[in-house]
Amino acid sequence: MTVDIRKKEGIIILDIEGRIIGSDSLALKQIIDEQVDAAEEGDAKILLNLADVRMVDSSGLGIIVASYTAVQKKDGRVALLHPGGNIRSLIVMAKLVTIFDRYEDEDEAIASFYKSNN
Amino acid sequence: MRSTTKQVICLDLPSSMQHVYLLDTIILEILKEMEFDEETSEQVNLAVIEAGTNAIKHGNQEDLNKHAHFEFIVQPDKITVVIQDEGKGFKREEVADPLDPANLLKSSGRGIFLMEACMDSVTYEKSGTIVKMVKHRPLAEQK
Repeated sequence: MTVDIRKKEGIIILDIEGRIIGSDSLALKQIIDEQVDAAEEGDAKILLNLADVRMVDSSGLGIIVASYTAVQKKDGRVALLHPGGNIRSLIVMAKLVTIFDRYEDEDEAIASFYKSNN
Repeated sequence: MRSTTKQVICLDLPSSMQHVYLLDTIILEILKEMEFDEETSEQVNLAVIEAGTNAIKHGNQEDLNKHAHFEFIVQPDKITVVIQDEGKGFKREEVADPLDPANLLKSSGRGIFLMEACMDSVTYEKSGTIVKMVKHRPLAEQK
């Protein structure tokens, strides 16, 4: 698994590539925690780009859930971009559909962060 | 190429989480040879990763002196995966339901639920130190 971090219009975008299995989840947790810790209150706006992720296990899903609770503590928000592979079905199976907003367009995803804060 | 006979593939892994990648690679190759459809392959792949993670992390507590043993029994119409660890076992009925609203936002506790959701059957023997999982080839694919 590799993660590239970029910022666009105030949104922290994590471009994740590969399979999030085994100990990858710990590496991903560390990266997300660093971004959340560094964000100012209300600025923890994180978009997880999963376009190039083909497989996530329960540990990886757990880290994505943990990111949701971590950003909420800082009055922030996390959303998912291009959740493909098995992620979409995992979210449904784990009854997390109402927790995560999912987008197929990056600009739309970015705009949503400002709409939801209004 | 699909095998028309029963084949048994065995694997013994020292209990390091790094070896989950090796397990992932091997089950992917087995599923490729079995020519399961993509959705079924993803389900078996995930269940094996979850069972392997449980054996290595929770069963053997990542003790490198302990091994997780895997047996992949490949038959034309199904795959059976038997996983054995050297831990103390667990009681299935004591595992919390991850779909309970109180547990939905927990960062762990979904592994067994996903194994059981992805496979046709999951059974536990010897206090949960042996897990047996079966997945049949979808009927439409059976020749």
